[in-house]
Amino acid sequence: MEGKTKKRLSESILDKFSIDFLRNQVLKNAYGNDDTVIARLDPRILLVWYLFMAIVPWFVDDLWFLLACFILVAATTVMARVAGLVLFIFALGVFSQTGYLFIVSLFFGGNASTIFPLLMLTLKVATCSLASITVFSGLDPDRLSNGLQWYGCPERLSFSISYAYRILPMLMEEFQNILLSYRLRGNPPSRETLRGKIRYLAYQVKVVMLSFYPLMLNTAKRSRTTVEALEIRGYRYAAVNKAVKKIRLSSLRAGANDMMFLAVSVFWICGAVLVSTLI
Amino acid sequence: MNIIEIENLTYSYPAAESPILNHISLEVEKGDFLAVVGNNGCGKSTFCKTLNGLIPHFIDGDFEGTVKVDGINTLESDVATLASRAGYVYQDFENQIVRPTVLDDASYACLNYAMEDYEERGRRALRMCGLEGRENDYIWQLSGGQTHLLALAGAVSLQPEILILDEPIAQLDPGHADRIYGVLKELNERYGKTIIVIEHHTEYIADYCRHVMLMRDGGIAWKLPTGEALRRVEELQECNIFPPQVTIAAHRMKREGRMTPDAPLPTTVEEGRRAFGGLRYESPEKKASESSMEAESAVSFRDVSLSYRSVKGEDYRVFDHLNLEIRKGEKIALIGSNGAGKSTMMKLMVGLLKPASGEILIGGESIRKKKTEDLSRKISLVYQNPEEMFIKDSIEADIAYAMQVRNVENYRERTEALLERFRLLPLKKRDGRLLSGGQMRRASLAIGVALNPGILLLDEPTANLDIATRKEIMRTLSDMKGITETVMIATHDMQLVCEWAERIIVLCGGRVVADGPRDEIFGNKEVIRTVGIRPPEIFSMGRALDEKALCYTVDEFLEHFKE
Amino acid sequence: MEAVRKQTASQSQKLMIFVLTMALYGLSTLFTELIPHYQVGVVEFSVEYFLFIPLTLAMLFDPMSAALGAATGELVFSEIMLGQFGGLGELEKFLTVTIGVYIAGRMVKNPRNYKMVGIAALTGTGLQLLMGTVVDIMKVQFAVEDFEAVAGLPESVFATEGFAFLNDFLFSGILFCLLPTLFLVPKLYGKIEPLLGMRPRDGKTYLGGVNAKVVIGCVIGFAAAAAAELIATSGMPLIDWEAGWAESSTALAVGLIAAAALAVIVIAAIRMKASKGQAEAK
Repeated sequence: MEGKTKKRLSESILDKFSIDFLRNQVLKNAYGNDDTVIARLDPRILLVWYLFMAIVPWFVDDLWFLLACFILVAATTVMARVAGLVLFIFALGVFSQTGYLFIVSLFFGGNASTIFPLLMLTLKVATCSLASITVFSGLDPDRLSNGLQWYGCPERLSFSISYAYRILPMLMEEFQNILLSYRLRGNPPSRETLRGKIRYLAYQVKVVMLSFYPLMLNTAKRSRTTVEALEIRGYRYAAVNKAVKKIRLSSLRAGANDMMFLAVSVFWICGAVLVSTLI
Repeated sequence: MNIIEIENLTYSYPAAESPILNHISLEVEKGDFLAVVGNNGCGKSTFCKTLNGLIPHFIDGDFEGTVKVDGINTLESDVATLASRAGYVYQDFENQIVRPTVLDDASYACLNYAMEDYEERGRRALRMCGLEGRENDYIWQLSGGQTHLLALAGAVSLQPEILILDEPIAQLDPGHADRIYGVLKELNERYGKTIIVIEHHTEYIADYCRHVMLMRDGGIAWKLPTGEALRRVEELQECNIFPPQVTIAAHRMKREGRMTPDAPLPTTVEEGRRAFGGLRYESPEKKASESSMEAESAVSFRDVSLSYRSVKGEDYRVFDHLNLEIRKGEKIALIGSNGAGKSTMMKLMVGLLKPASGEILIGGESIRKKKTEDLSRKISLVYQNPEEMFIKDSIEADIAYAMQVRNVENYRERTEALLERFRLLPLKKRDGRLLSGGQMRRASLAIGVALNPGILLLDEPTANLDIATRKEIMRTLSDMKGITETVMIATHDMQLVCEWAERIIVLCGGRVVADGPRDEIFGNKEVIRTVGIRPPEIFSMGRALDEKALCYTVDEFLEHFKE
Repeated sequence: MEAVRKQTASQSQKLMIFVLTMALYGLSTLFTELIPHYQVGVVEFSVEYFLFIPLTLAMLFDPMSAALGAATGELVFSEIMLGQFGGLGELEKFLTVTIGVYIAGRMVKNPRNYKMVGIAALTGTGLQLLMGTVVDIMKVQFAVEDFEAVAGLPESVFATEGFAFLNDFLFSGILFCLLPTLFLVPKLYGKIEPLLGMRPRDGKTYLGGVNAKVVIGCVIGFAAAAAAELIATSGMPLIDWEAGWAESSTALAVGLIAAAALAVIVIAAIRMKASKGQAEAK
């Protein structure tokens, strides 16, 4: 199953469907979930929450606790309405790190003593990844960059995040069109036999790489205007001005929703610890 | 009061041999609406960048003379101060937008200059530019025209006295173009802003601008009130500027002695009504239309439906059971506003998109099972943006590529022939991207016909070109009528439609709302109004004089309107 | 005045390179996240790197801007945008990519010189991979007490890590870094610079080769990278300690967590009041 999906993905790298699909999924993930509860939370609180979820599970070996953490982050991931593709990558990531060991040992009739640690490890990896998915793809990009800046991340990084979200649709479209040029005018090897398939794959990888030659030049043309416009619009002036940072960050407000979110999380985790000690 | 005072400005780019601006002196009054015209490469954009301080503060080079903007000497100031005096909107405006959402981008500059009320300023700018209600949208949800308005709002938000726009309507359909100029007019009249546009479309200059400045070889030839400026037909044409068609028509009448020599030339349809008032329309004898009904089918759409996945909510349905027949040998123009489905239709035909249901036949065969690379021998698509067609490092290699990988015999000779035919021989080793607009366009056409396809699809072949280059491309397209049997052009350029097309298909919201020869389309007021087509000015002139008149070119106008 | 203006111009150029590299490399990392990794036996054929993009740009323009742009692009596009952010461990990648690209960019004096470009591309890639390998080995060394004492462990770790390094270097390095860079640099040289309003790299604009200062800077960077990665993975040896804690006193654990929760809420409430007070004061 896994292999099949992989194969299909690779075969259609150049396929309009998959590039288009990819673009759609990335856009959906980036812009499609700005009206969720998670997206409206205070980024500073979410970042603290993330730190907890990403660090603490590594130090704890209690199944109930880990399970509770996992369920919590799974719930927030659902609430953040993360795109399917991101979840797929998540699944692939967990699988490649520990999941496959888990399944293999199940297959060879591993007993509880071998499965248990693996289950724990898988839970830890999964919790950590899901927490990062919730925060980084569930949060509105601008709020995320403001939150990072509040914690003292360099201004350049928060600019990069916002700019990346702005430029991505344009870049994707341009890249797609260049690939389409190759598709319309190129002549890929036939993919009937196994050797043909390998050659076809190699051809596709080559085309993707060659596409960066026109893409580099076209993007260079664009970035000149962008940087001039940034200058006019005071980007460099703001980067060294403390007042600007203050004004920008003054839009951050922790409200009732944030408190609620925090309280529920704490309650849940506390409950889990209690249950685990009672059992 | 003068808002701009320039004295003896000379500027050259670093490492350039001769100055691009040469001893310029100019005064612009506060509240003016000035059009800057001139040949490509005469320094128009460079001139505008001296006004907001990008030159000399951001772009290096040799700078002499003084530029005073709103009383400030640009040399003694900095870009930040000048930005609040003179706002600038680039020709490639989409690259000047750097934030993901609308309000955020409109207030970005105010925030950067540490204004406490930055959000309110952004909102006000959006209101002034007619983007109210779109505050929380993402940039990619905007149409091209709206994106331009947003770039304008970003400049307006700092409340500068001067607004400079580099070719504001080059990429827009007529509906959006009218809207941009409507907003500019309001900014000028109601808010008292001084507006400077670099503009090729003289009809818009005639309708909106107060003064025209002609630039030639890095200098200012003259600056005159619009009417007077546009009447200098010969001088403008020498610089590849084409005055409004009404003016050209009157100018030619005068030369032929059909008008009194001392009467002023009209520049707008309104003035034309008076100037041509005495003319009478003689309808031409209807040529028996040769029916092409019998010709073989080239492409046919059978019940085609297609939806786009949308980022949020429901999928967007582009076509719903579309049926259309295209016959061999037809020269078709596909028109309709942005987002009507023109590009999508073309992508369906070349197999880049697959319909959700229904069938597309090319030469009687369904393309559902065909590979894109096999289809390309029969049908070829030339993109709107030629830069995306250049995938090699020289146009010669680009033209040869499709033939080379298909092992076409003597592809070298064919490439050579195509280079010759499209007058690209001296440029053949150059990278396509580094050519001028017209050369780029010719090269993309050559790439499109390289495989000798029976059907050629062109997406906006004249977009983004100045009028002179547009004429040149139109000539090339006429030449090409012999090479390719069936041609379809998606375009907003009504002059191209009128002069070139034999059949016009009007798309609106994914439906074919009108289909026929030009008389049928342009004669139908209902269609023109609902779809928002702006016919060529000379056509409107004719209609204004006589309801029955159908003349599409200046030649036809002169022929059919008699004393 | 003149000097200030010159500086502004060069800063703008650096920003341009940064933006360009970030956008392009960021986009490419979006794809590499999605291209599957092929495994044939122990040899993993992974399309890890589109590193040729920043390598090329670093050789043509300011190396530091390109290097930082590439690292930021990867962080923003593939880690943050796709939510694959791995915490502190990402810092390791950030720094090693920056160092690798920067060194490669500094090495090239004349972009038309194929030999130099090739050597620089391989050095940059190799350096980046090597640093990753060293960190990996250090990780094991840290995690296992008496690393040297366990029979055969050092050898096997060095062998597997060394093999992984060679595999990556020969496969990704040559196919995805060396060849495309060799193809692109001479092609773009003289073509892409005018688009950005810059002069092509020549004797005058060349920053000078790799010198002691560069080396020291890179060593410090690498140390930081290694430290970050080690901290990020040091959860392992602490597990024992944790387990003991969790078993011992439940009440204490609950009390601690509840107290922490209370503290967080109180602090947040105070902050909120304070910020409201500030707003009102204004």
